[in-house]
Amino acid sequence: MSDKTYLSEIKEIRVDENSPLFDKTGMLYKEFSSDYRQIRYYTLLIVQSAPIEIKEINLLEQQISEVIKNAVKHGNRSNPAKKVRVWYSFDLDHAHLIVEDEGEGFKDLEKWNEFNRKRLECLANQDFEKLADFVSFRTAKSDENDGGNALFAALEYWDGGFVFNSKRNAVAMLKKFPHKRH
Amino acid sequence: MELKIRKNGENYIIDVNGEMDLYNSYKLKELVMKMLEKKVERFIINLENVDYIDSSGIGALIYICSTIKKMNLKLIITNIHGSVKKVIELTKLMGYFPITNSIEEAIQQMEE
Repeated sequence: MSDKTYLSEIKEIRVDENSPLFDKTGMLYKEFSSDYRQIRYYTLLIVQSAPIEIKEINLLEQQISEVIKNAVKHGNRSNPAKKVRVWYSFDLDHAHLIVEDEGEGFKDLEKWNEFNRKRLECLANQDFEKLADFVSFRTAKSDENDGGNALFAALEYWDGGFVFNSKRNAVAMLKKFPHKRH
Repeated sequence: MELKIRKNGENYIIDVNGEMDLYNSYKLKELVMKMLEKKVERFIINLENVDYIDSSGIGALIYICSTIKKMNLKLIITNIHGSVKKVIELTKLMGYFPITNSIEEAIQQMEE
């Protein structure tokens, strides 16, 4: 039996330069050189300003690490001369980030959305044999250390939006944390 | 990340200790490939002591899982918890990976 919940709301990576998520007002800022070895350290420098209540042990750190890795590795090709710029703001209600690199932009964005749509169709049909072809998104530049699955989780995690600018070298994202009622 | 192998009958249990991140997930992949060369046929990957996984770690598990499935050999991943479970859930791979809650359950399932 098929499970339509996977298809009820197919999330896509959007391109919207004018998204309010690109409003940097009041956000903190850090910039880093594109040193692959420092990705987790850079992430810790960012995430340390988040309240513990929204860290969900290390889930917030892990999700931020993925977007910084994408900027360092896929955007700037780990060229230390190129910078990654991060704007961020955290409180008990939200985590908001903008990560920008100096690369040529995410050219395969449409291919990724199409790939993700097929992946969700396999899940809806519980077709795990066919799903094997859609568990890892590869491009000509992928290497064996690329899991090819970071953005699948990102689209789910950043539930307030995950949006690229027109040049596709910057991505803005928002995670909402609903208050628990006492 | 530290990897230890122990044997239980025909089953080879790999205990993973530490973080499965972009810097070290390849080690698990390499170890499993070496074990396949040595004709190991039943793998249990124990993630009890893994509290952090990223897309490279998930990618390593996907690679291992698809390789073992293609060879018609057996794999079970066990003791997934905390944020590791959460990341696998976000990636919607809980149904793709063969998963049990404990090593005992994994061993039992290997016999079926």
